[in-house]
Amino acid sequence: MTETAMEAAALGKTFGRRRRKDALDGCAFRLPAGSVCALVGPNGAGKSTLLSLAAGLQKPTDGTLTVLGHAPAAVRERLAYVAQDKPLHPQLTVDDTLRYGRELNPGRWDDRVAERIVDEGDLDRDARVRTLSGGQRTRVALALALGKRPELLLLDEPMADLDPLARHQLMATLMADAAEHGTTVVMSSHVVAELDGACDHLLLLGAGRVRLAGPLDDLLAAHRLVTGRADTSLDPHTVIESRTTGRQLTALVRPEGPLGDGWQSTAPTLEELVLAHLRAPQAPALSLDDRREAAV
Amino acid sequence: MVEYRIDRRSGVATYVQIVQQTKQALRLGLLEPGDKLPTAREVVEATAINPNTVLKAYRELEREGLVEARRGLGTFVRRGLNTAPADSPLRAELDAWAVRAREAGLERDDVDALFISVLDTHFKGDES
Amino acid sequence: MTTAVSIEKTTAVPSPRGPRGLVWTLLRVHRSALWFWGMAVVIGVGALLWAYGPGADAAWAEFRQMGCDSGRPGLGCDLAGPAGGRYDTVVTVAAGFLGLLPFLTAAWAGGALIGRELEDGTAQLAWTQSVTPARWLAAKLAVPAALLASGTLLLTLLHRTVYSADGSLRTALGSPEWFRTNTFEANGTLATAYALLGLAVGVLAGLLHRRALPALGTAVVGLAVVASVIDSLRPHLWPVETLVDKHEYPEYTGMVLGDGALTSTGARVPDPICVDDAKCLAEHDIVGFYRDYHPSSHFWPLQLMETAVVLAVAAVAVLIAFGLLKRRTGAAV
Repeated sequence: MTETAMEAAALGKTFGRRRRKDALDGCAFRLPAGSVCALVGPNGAGKSTLLSLAAGLQKPTDGTLTVLGHAPAAVRERLAYVAQDKPLHPQLTVDDTLRYGRELNPGRWDDRVAERIVDEGDLDRDARVRTLSGGQRTRVALALALGKRPELLLLDEPMADLDPLARHQLMATLMADAAEHGTTVVMSSHVVAELDGACDHLLLLGAGRVRLAGPLDDLLAAHRLVTGRADTSLDPHTVIESRTTGRQLTALVRPEGPLGDGWQSTAPTLEELVLAHLRAPQAPALSLDDRREAAV
Repeated sequence: MVEYRIDRRSGVATYVQIVQQTKQALRLGLLEPGDKLPTAREVVEATAINPNTVLKAYRELEREGLVEARRGLGTFVRRGLNTAPADSPLRAELDAWAVRAREAGLERDDVDALFISVLDTHFKGDES
Repeated sequence: MTTAVSIEKTTAVPSPRGPRGLVWTLLRVHRSALWFWGMAVVIGVGALLWAYGPGADAAWAEFRQMGCDSGRPGLGCDLAGPAGGRYDTVVTVAAGFLGLLPFLTAAWAGGALIGRELEDGTAQLAWTQSVTPARWLAAKLAVPAALLASGTLLLTLLHRTVYSADGSLRTALGSPEWFRTNTFEANGTLATAYALLGLAVGVLAGLLHRRALPALGTAVVGLAVVASVIDSLRPHLWPVETLVDKHEYPEYTGMVLGDGALTSTGARVPDPICVDDAKCLAEHDIVGFYRDYHPSSHFWPLQLMETAVVLAVAAVAVLIAFGLLKRRTGAAV
């Protein structure tokens, strides 16, 4: 049904020769085009490494990562990437920075898109980038990324240094762009609430491995938040995390069939789902990419 | 036009909120047949939610026959929803019932709980 | 048909004036360095033109006024007057700047051009536009190389003009001979070659360290090491001429590499310093003296050989830089 925006197979990336450290290890997932994917995980889980690999800035140690059907370096002009610290040339003005985008993306650059994003932030076009606040800088970096009219937009902690109003504005701008052009967006964050509502796919990384992957609704539907008596068994369901308070047991489970009587169950929120998995690093991984593919 | 207000903490799926708020607007007459719903772009620009969520909600409304998508033009309201106008006999009955409930010493919460449990009994199995 | 296509192309792509793409980006981002270089060239050209015209004239006038051109030895003629001093200073400083230029270039290339951009992520910013890392690096090398080469060639040409026009004045002032390092380099192709080597070494250091300050240090030290090695090779890049004399050391003009005494078998031995003591000379079997040197006619062969060596080393540094970049980013070139 859908094209694939990003696909990883046995993807691994190791840093350092003497003391080898796996940033990514055996990752496999598939992200359909047009989706907005939340890339979530604790610090050091490999989020930035994955985005940097997808942007073609590094090459994987093992496995493959294809982006828009090709190696990332081969589709450079169809990708946009905003790194965590929003690198821009500090001595350039806002206008010069937009010209930078135009000069380096011949045939793709859309001045109107970039200018609209900058102007929405009420930025002085002649101000030098070094004089901008964190939020204004993020806006310029995003203008540079979207002005390129990318098919895949990779954002590493895009909202980290923004106030709530600017967060909402920029997220709205991003979503509007995705709505208009069908841009696939992958954004990382360790603040899950920031991504709720905006994303329809989830990729949860932990210690370099995929913990959860797939359409968000399917992942949420595959889990239930249950409460019941502590002496009742939850077999045969997969328990991700459970807490006992007195006689009461609260657990996040992946039901394998109907839950028995005596259990009160609700659907978990994105935050509950993610936090439960982060607190339980040993819980089995779940990938729903393939099931969806098979069902279509 | 209708403006959606998304409550991320309500626990209700975002697309369901859009469906419910559209229906509410239809019931209250804020939207009438022939009216245009906001485009997905307009909705996400105001709410910063995922555009696919808006499209999913509109597809759901379309499936229920409430709206129709016209290619290149937008999504338009096809029909309104049955509403009980302010002066209908049903409302009068409910009004009288509420007066009796209060005289019987019920608090607002008690009335709420009672009402919902009766609704649950009668509308059980309907779409949640 | 072809005309229609070409018209469509020209209308589709707006053609504003001035440089485009990566070239524009480089010139804009490194505007202050561009300004510095432009000013340096303008000042250098101005200074050398002054030296060639009014400066030399004034020095000559002063020289004649002091009566030093008559050939009679005069005590005052060993020291230059104020006008001669000014002339000498300007020419020496110009040659000195050309000698310093490779180190300035290396520091800038390692620090600002490459190291800082890899450190603050602006290099990666360029690579995520529609620009491959290889093209990025090629532009980083080509644009500064073109500007450096054209400016340096202009300055060396002027320096050479000044140097060859005022030969006798120079002798009078005791200015450096043709083979002194700064003069040798500023009079030919070497100043340009070393400036390009500075660029290549700086770029390589920047890619190695990926941080501005360490790259700057390594670039300068690395260039100093490479330049001193090549400098020590200089006299050996072309066969020397040898002068032989039976009684004393031969007269010479030029770059001396070695001298000593000759025995009857033709062997070269250290001078036993007998001076005119015939017995001493016979005792050591000394039949003559030799001197190895490069005459001034060896200027161009030496200059071009060394230029070739410098450019070859620069090319190797550039190749390593590209290899390093490719290995790191895994990008298709």
